Amino acid sequence: MSDFETAAASELHSATPGLQGEPGAPGQPQTMESATKVRSAAADAWRELRRNALFWIALAIVLVILVMACWPSLFTSADPNSCSLNNQMAGPSAGAPFGYDFQGCNVWAHAVYGTRNSLLIGAGAAILAGVLAMVIGMIAGFFGGWIDAVVSRIVDIVLAIPLLLGAIVLMKRIPSDSQSLRLTALIGILGVLGWTTAARVVRSSVITAKQQDYVSAARMLGAGNGRIMWRHIMPNVLAPFLVIITIALGAFIASEATLSFLGVGLKPPSISWGSDIATARVHMREKITPLAVPSVFLALTVLAFIMLGDAIREAFDPKLR
Amino acid sequence: MQVRKLAAFAALPVVAALALSACGGKGGDSASSSNGVVRIGIAEPQFLTPADTNETSGSQVLAALFAPLVDYDENNKPYEVQAESITTTDNKTWTIKIKDGWTFHNGEKVTSDSYINAWNAAAYKGSSQNAYFFSQIEGYDAVAPADAKATPTAKTLSGLKKVDDTSFTVTLTAPFSDFKTMLGYTAFYPLPAAAFDSDGAVKKDFAEAPIGDGPFKMDGTWQHDAEISVTRYDAYKGTAPHISGADFKIYQQPSAEYADLLAGNDDVMKQIPTENLTTADGDLGDRFLQSPASTFQFLSFPTYDKSFANVDVRRAISMAIDRQQIVDQVFKGSQKAAYSFVSPVVAGYRDNTCGANCEYKPADAKTLYQQAGGPAKLTISYNADGGHKDWVDATCNQLKANLGVECVGQPEAKFADLLTKVQKKESVGVFRMAWVMDYPSMEDYLGPLYTTKGSSNYYGYSNPDFDKLVQDGREAKTSDEAIAKWQQAEDILAKDMPVMPLRFGQNSYGISTKVKNVEIDLYNRVNLTKIEYVG
Repeated sequence: MSDFETAAASELHSATPGLQGEPGAPGQPQTMESATKVRSAAADAWRELRRNALFWIALAIVLVILVMACWPSLFTSADPNSCSLNNQMAGPSAGAPFGYDFQGCNVWAHAVYGTRNSLLIGAGAAILAGVLAMVIGMIAGFFGGWIDAVVSRIVDIVLAIPLLLGAIVLMKRIPSDSQSLRLTALIGILGVLGWTTAARVVRSSVITAKQQDYVSAARMLGAGNGRIMWRHIMPNVLAPFLVIITIALGAFIASEATLSFLGVGLKPPSISWGSDIATARVHMREKITPLAVPSVFLALTVLAFIMLGDAIREAFDPKLR
Repeated sequence: MQVRKLAAFAALPVVAALALSACGGKGGDSASSSNGVVRIGIAEPQFLTPADTNETSGSQVLAALFAPLVDYDENNKPYEVQAESITTTDNKTWTIKIKDGWTFHNGEKVTSDSYINAWNAAAYKGSSQNAYFFSQIEGYDAVAPADAKATPTAKTLSGLKKVDDTSFTVTLTAPFSDFKTMLGYTAFYPLPAAAFDSDGAVKKDFAEAPIGDGPFKMDGTWQHDAEISVTRYDAYKGTAPHISGADFKIYQQPSAEYADLLAGNDDVMKQIPTENLTTADGDLGDRFLQSPASTFQFLSFPTYDKSFANVDVRRAISMAIDRQQIVDQVFKGSQKAAYSFVSPVVAGYRDNTCGANCEYKPADAKTLYQQAGGPAKLTISYNADGGHKDWVDATCNQLKANLGVECVGQPEAKFADLLTKVQKKESVGVFRMAWVMDYPSMEDYLGPLYTTKGSSNYYGYSNPDFDKLVQDGREAKTSDEAIAKWQQAEDILAKDMPVMPLRFGQNSYGISTKVKNVEIDLYNRVNLTKIEYVG
């Protein structure tokens, strides 16, 4: 019994839909006998990823951004909040490689310290949206019937609310004096409005997976709903789910910047690339670096997450190989 | 074939653009300019009735449509326009004679009734925006009881008496030497009988196409958020303007108007946004002009807030601000650092009445602030629609550096939102305000702003000595005596510091190549009599 289960579990990880019929590919019943010889889908994907230059570039950027978010003082010794008109629009100097903006703030230090908020909100919203999508998509796909019908309509309704519009309306109601409250609210709002696409992906993956023979087998052996969902279906959903959440993380960061740019996201003294861009925009004709530096930071971060998601998707999807 | 198809598609937007621009009607440059119509940018006026208009966009339009009783010369002394003479013996009862033969745009004669009815309507129930200006006239309490719910016991001001068709008398509750000066304000324009309904109130749709007695009449109606057009009124008896008309183009965004000015789609931009000041010189060259204005910018302390109750905290904050640096670097010298509470444009102004309290002394300020136990976190509230972010942030940065406190600028969407919060006594921290004078008198910078019952005293400042001095000044026999009293009152402000002076404004405006002799007065209005069209 336990033997079978371990074998089944390790095999199930590889039961990616669409692999059937490919010779030597995992996911077919016979792999049970030759489990040790054949690579799992994850290992296969990893082999693909290793050869993908884009993946490494994206990963490198993400790592640098992560370090920057955790220890900004490694990248600059300047205090981003000490600004003085004495430095107004000053050129590059030691400690300020990109010079100073209109208010005399260090452009580089500001951008570096802005990383933490962007990443925090992006990751927070992605985790919240991920959990919601996973739970709701799983329930809808697995139980089907009226539950699916209700959940799918809810997804449709939430999907009909434009993310930015909804966020603007809701953020306006958050008091602007508590910055930690605004940050939490942003995570909540972006997460709650942004889980739907992922939920649809999860639901369709669950529907495909639950029709597989091994699920019927597990059910016949007496496994309960919870066990089947967790051990047999979840592993199949994980790959497409991670892909879409990684891409969503990038999109959430961009949304946060947009909201802050419009003045409804984070507010000073919180540092955000979006509000930095908004401030620098009016003085664009005098000096471009205060606008360019946070813009490049934002573009690279969003691009890195989207490229990472794309690379993983390609690696898992045999059709794209 | 392929190429031709593409070309056809490429032509589509061009055709569409042509078709759309054709829809513009009278919009074309050459069409509107050839007959000498100038285009002046304004914001959407709040009202277009004299009794309610107190912002610069509305008063600009009304200045074109109405002739005031008095206007002001270069020295801010009033001279008669529609009035023949304004006389008094005791500063309490004033006799106003108006010029005969003037007509409204609908042909109606301008008589003393035109004034009396308009003023009675403005004062009734005290509900119009400018009712405050009639509160000194005898009988105001009967038409506008202090308790807003009480029914007025009279419909007309007992202090207004008609003598004949061209003269009437005004009796004030107390002598006021500057009453003649006050009569140049928007609120005192006359209205034709056509403006009133049967109850004697101004008709609701009157503001859509006001009928005045001024040099210009409405051309069509007020096109909200788009345009207000006026053409020359040929029967006007005063100084005739050089231009044949004016289009007041309404802009929501100053930056959009600035782009239009550069593109030649706008002839006069009355106030160049702060952020464009750095480039305005290069963009416009000698078409970038400056003139004095009466604006007084200041930061006010909510005295109801315990954190600012100690006068030393207020003094320390004021001493920690380097006004000159902000003027030089944020405003590029387009405003003047203020060290007094009264603008240099009025008689009675003295330089540096604020004294040591407005001097930039960061080290002393810090010691004083710590001794007085000032709050560790400061906020400066401002309205986001007025282009104040730059200087508020700069001020905050100075306070951060000089006092060692946290400081953030707190934008509110509109000025009205900010005032609502202040009136509810919510904690807004220090908040910005500005004052544009209503009439050129020193009193206008003191009475409404700091007296206990002042119409714009939002910070809850109250000092009986100050109130008395202001009232004494009003009742003084001569201007010099009045000014002496008001200067004493100003000295009290410098000690109490309910607000800190920051800057005196200037009109920084831009014009197109099609106009000349463009003058902007102290009230931020283009002088429409002097402006000329050169094409």
